Amino acid sequence: MANPDKNKALNTKKLKMPFGVPGHNLTEIEREVPADEPSALPVNEKLSVVGKRVKRVDALQKVTGAAKYTADIQLPGMLYGKFLRSPYPHARIKSLDVSAARKHPGVFAVIVQGKEGEQKDQYDGKELPRLRFAGQAIAAVAAESMNIAREALGLIKVEYEPLPFVVNLDEARKPGAPLVYEEVIEDRGSAGDVGVTAADEQKGNLRGPTTSSFFGGPRGDVEKGFAEADVILEKEYRTQVQTHCCLETHGAVADWRPDMLTVYSSNQSTRDTRNDLVELFGLPTSKVRVVTEFMGGGFGSKFGAGETGVAATWLSKLSGRPVKLMLEREEEQISAGNRPNSHQILKVGAKKDGTLTAVDLLSYGTAGVGLGAGVGRVAQDMYVCPNFKMAQYDVFTHAGPGQAFRAPGNVQGAFAMESLIDELAEKLDMDPLALRDKIDANDIRRIQRKAGAEKFGWKRRKAGADTGPVKRGIGVAQATWPRFVEMDSSVMVRINRSGSVEALSGVQDIGTGTKTIIAQVVAEELGLKAEDITIKIGDTNYPDALGSGGSKTAENITPPARNATYQAKLKMLQGVAAAWQVDVEDIELKNGEVFVKADPSKKMTFAEAAKRMPTSQVIATASRTADYGGFLSGSWLGHGRLGAVQFAEVSVDTETGFIKVERVVAVHTCGRPINPMQLESQINGGVIMGVGYALLEDRVIDPNTGHQVNTGLDTYKLPYAKEIPQIECVLIENYDAHSSTDVAGIGEPANIATAAAIANAVYNAIGVRIYELPITPQKVLAALGHI
Amino acid sequence: MKRFEYVQAPSVQDAIDMMNSTVSEALLKKATSSAYVVKAGGTDLLDLIKEGLVEPARLIDLSRIPGLDKLSYDSKAGLQFGPLVTIAGLENSEEVKKHYRALYESATHAATPQLRNMATMGGNLMQRPRCWYFRSSAHKCRKKGGFTCYAQIGENQFHGIFNTNICPCVHPSSLATALLAYDGKVELTGPEGRRVAPLAEFFLSSEENVSQETVAGSKEIITNIMLPPVDANTRAAYLKAGQRESYDWSMADVAVVLKMDGNKCRDARIVFGAASSVPLRREGAEAVLKGKVVTEKVAMEAAKKALEGATPLKHNGYKVKLFENLTKRAIMDAVG
Amino acid sequence: MKNPSEEQSSMQEKKGVSRRAFLRGAGLTTAGTVALSAGLLSFKLEDAKAPPAILGPGEAEVRFVVNGQARTIWVEPRTTLAEALREHLSLTGAKVVCDRGSCSACTVWVDGKPVNSCITLAVDVSGREVTTIEGLAQGDELHPVQEAFIEHDASMCGFCTPGMVMSCAALLKRNPNPGLEDVKLATSGNLCRCGTYPKVFEATLAAAKKMKK
Repeated sequence: MANPDKNKALNTKKLKMPFGVPGHNLTEIEREVPADEPSALPVNEKLSVVGKRVKRVDALQKVTGAAKYTADIQLPGMLYGKFLRSPYPHARIKSLDVSAARKHPGVFAVIVQGKEGEQKDQYDGKELPRLRFAGQAIAAVAAESMNIAREALGLIKVEYEPLPFVVNLDEARKPGAPLVYEEVIEDRGSAGDVGVTAADEQKGNLRGPTTSSFFGGPRGDVEKGFAEADVILEKEYRTQVQTHCCLETHGAVADWRPDMLTVYSSNQSTRDTRNDLVELFGLPTSKVRVVTEFMGGGFGSKFGAGETGVAATWLSKLSGRPVKLMLEREEEQISAGNRPNSHQILKVGAKKDGTLTAVDLLSYGTAGVGLGAGVGRVAQDMYVCPNFKMAQYDVFTHAGPGQAFRAPGNVQGAFAMESLIDELAEKLDMDPLALRDKIDANDIRRIQRKAGAEKFGWKRRKAGADTGPVKRGIGVAQATWPRFVEMDSSVMVRINRSGSVEALSGVQDIGTGTKTIIAQVVAEELGLKAEDITIKIGDTNYPDALGSGGSKTAENITPPARNATYQAKLKMLQGVAAAWQVDVEDIELKNGEVFVKADPSKKMTFAEAAKRMPTSQVIATASRTADYGGFLSGSWLGHGRLGAVQFAEVSVDTETGFIKVERVVAVHTCGRPINPMQLESQINGGVIMGVGYALLEDRVIDPNTGHQVNTGLDTYKLPYAKEIPQIECVLIENYDAHSSTDVAGIGEPANIATAAAIANAVYNAIGVRIYELPITPQKVLAALGHI
Repeated sequence: MKRFEYVQAPSVQDAIDMMNSTVSEALLKKATSSAYVVKAGGTDLLDLIKEGLVEPARLIDLSRIPGLDKLSYDSKAGLQFGPLVTIAGLENSEEVKKHYRALYESATHAATPQLRNMATMGGNLMQRPRCWYFRSSAHKCRKKGGFTCYAQIGENQFHGIFNTNICPCVHPSSLATALLAYDGKVELTGPEGRRVAPLAEFFLSSEENVSQETVAGSKEIITNIMLPPVDANTRAAYLKAGQRESYDWSMADVAVVLKMDGNKCRDARIVFGAASSVPLRREGAEAVLKGKVVTEKVAMEAAKKALEGATPLKHNGYKVKLFENLTKRAIMDAVG
Repeated sequence: MKNPSEEQSSMQEKKGVSRRAFLRGAGLTTAGTVALSAGLLSFKLEDAKAPPAILGPGEAEVRFVVNGQARTIWVEPRTTLAEALREHLSLTGAKVVCDRGSCSACTVWVDGKPVNSCITLAVDVSGREVTTIEGLAQGDELHPVQEAFIEHDASMCGFCTPGMVMSCAALLKRNPNPGLEDVKLATSGNLCRCGTYPKVFEATLAAAKKMKK
């Protein structure tokens, strides 16, 4: 595990590293780093591959249909698995009879959830878990075809005792509401890392309050702060349940063999998935292989083996054949995760000049049968007010479990906080940007606001200034996100005598471009092009690496890639250095050539140098070290924050309530940008997801039947082509001297501020504030007094 | 999907000989699985089969029957097209674009480009409603032979605002809105031969028949769709409001066809889609326009009249204002 | 509209109906990459007189042209085109995402037009020409849209990409001079959750420009 003092335990050397923002305050800083790490990487301007718009290395496979995802895997003799799911939102199973399904021709295995190891025909309801949401898995079958599997499910006889249920956040909080859990739940929950409350504070369907996050707990004296305030604003905000809608559903193909379990899995962490299977099936780590070569989107919902991976493995073990179990769309929407909704009561006190005197947040949210609906980190950390407290409650409902979802808690929290700051600015008669300049201590965001305002042409309009029915408006909002350090992540670099180079790691590319940035970092170090590097990742046969979540993959996989390349390079160059009678450190690699820095006449091609290797391959494996300079807080929280500022322009048709997001300027910082083109893609993705969250997406569960009614992608509304605004990305390059690559993440920061910026723009357009997402035509018409 | 047989009908007669159920009937007698139903593009039927709502024993494919995909226009006879003409076929027809603007607009705003290439006009008029309770096998609603309307007491934000007593689902075809505004007719062919039904009579409201949306019989198929000619004095418009501009179901759509006499309105047809279980003519509003110079004020007066008698449900009150504004806009757009 | 009397007849052969038709049908499959002309498939009255062949519910023979090659598969009538391509022909480029025609990830061309293969039956395309993402490139030479997608980073996780490419390539086939709104319209049924849309628009417009040169 991470050890903040690791740097000190090793031989070290001192490096002068770039520090600050080019064009603003770029300087150099000295860092003491382990001796086996490469020299300082200069700013991007001086590099050949890193920081350049390099084409995605696996794009060819994607545009030709050659990329094989888990859903595309076909193995000889492969069976198809499918779940039987609860038709009731809350029920006890009285009895379960799977005998007919077992006997159905073409069926090879049947399992009952929680009783997978017991191969019985009948199960007494008492031994089976309670059903707590409509769509909860009860049993699964594996059959020769999907159609036979479906038929077999129809043959499973279940007697249910339906029980009272509650699916609505407000109803579930009322005394006497049907209980989701009668017992105290020890499970830490599923909705990510925000605000999961302690088990001993569970009353009714409420759990909480939690008053702290990993940024700490309450600060100062909130009552005193409000007493000192000139202005106090207290508002209620509501956000909806959003589902991940991964295009590739959750699923796995499990191939259990006597010597080895191989599982192809659509997931965000090959390592976690492998470890889950090792633990559940009691297998040695060495006998489980998880492969995720291509995967069709996760957004936080696909960590670990999950229900599909576990069931597929059981079914494969029992049938002796490979089993593919991919969720169908409806199952995905109901059971495979969501962003919990929220009801937030946010109170802020401020002085006339804008200075915040107190921030107080009370929040409720439901992750269905799961936990983790906290939203407080933005209120706690964006504007570091000396007087702060929060109380966050998780509320259980009879609905599918929440899962981590792109900036868990922060998207909800930013909508409330950034709406309220906008309102405060108006109350104080200050420009929203000027207010933030006053109260935001983060100097990167200060630079971002300035750059963004210029690009956007920030000049706030008077609300409703347009004469026609269509009103235009602009708004701004900000994001904060931590830097997570994960030490336990390795990359192996192999240089072959033929001159070809491979980088191998268990890390997976979930669409963010991980393969490409590894190739860039390796290529930069070897003086090659990105396409010269063969990237083999997404397989636990390669060195273990981190899961893709928390916007930490780029930050934590590029240093191991560079470190391993550096070490392999030193090995490779030993022969050459001896021949030239120089130290290996005196040799430089650039443009496919290897030469002596001080005497460029001594040179050869990379391929020629490789031929002189003592062995047919040189191999080095490396991981990263703790934050350079020891700025690691605890074992995993890096120093510094990832800030972002986004500006939105909307038009609102006041006669139809229709909102169009016309333009978004997104200003972001993620340390050293490795690939601006891929970063733009990530930012576009975050913004577009924010458009959906702001205006369209909303899981609808019928209160009377407890069933989700919009399980299709026609009724769960996502942004499509015509909903896409003109998006302009501004990347602020920033050097912190954190690591050998000094990279930070982008995925989550890109998604946090958008909905709030849009909501503020809508207010600016129509002069009425809407406190609940999504801002639908219904809500606009209601706000304008038309209903 | 349950297994079924499949046969390509070589002719209309063969199809009629073989079929024994409408899709609506097949849904009601699902358990017996003896239904032989026709399909054309299959976009709606396959959706219903995949959801497990319909389990036909045999699909009779009409898509290879020659001659049913023809479209013709004649300034005297008007527009005629076969049931196999796709939505894209209307969209790409110069005649439709030139003479039937509201129909053209409704075609371009329907579904997705892919679906428009697949979905036939016969199927479009025969498709089942999109009510999310009707489409969910977990809800045995009135339309499926049950006793409860889940929409009336549940999530009805996209449901109807007129005639909502029995079943407030809305008619799924936004092209039908325009077709009715042009006073379209449908030719049905069955064992007894052909009959022609004006669209207003072709569609059955949920009050008339909760489980079937058209008068088409168990052994009848649409063989022709006809619109009367339009003259140089005809002005038309079609507007659709969805939550999205891209692919989306209509929250409200309005088709307006006006016959003008100089700047005066001689005759008007105004039809609402997504307002009721059938495309809904608003005669009261039409009467407001007749004989008047169409100004913004008159248009708004007509629009208000069009919403008279609306009985919105708990979550769709917004539709009243939406339809009102959309109607005014469509009228002004037509004369514009 | 084309009428596949040939295919229909060849299916009848399976039921022992028409030897003559079978031979014609067999000839069709050996036609290989030759495009099926409307003339070859034009409706013939004599064939209409034969009782129509009932396929299934078990496996039935379907002959069609996939990416220029005549293919014969045996599938139940309930098999969708997407399943037939993915599971019977190992052409897994087209993806099943919504399975209801709502997301267009399964887009293939049937007789040159983009359709949703998830709600098309395999038996529906007998005698027709199907083009999948795997058949878009001419040998090693990528379609300009594919090239532009690579150049402009128009794929992220890549799951929607085959459908997007097929929509955009179809657009350029019928409109060599598209504007941004045309591209948006052409992709208005394609869902992408990663958010590649801006780059898809950019790439398609760039491809159009390049194709004109």
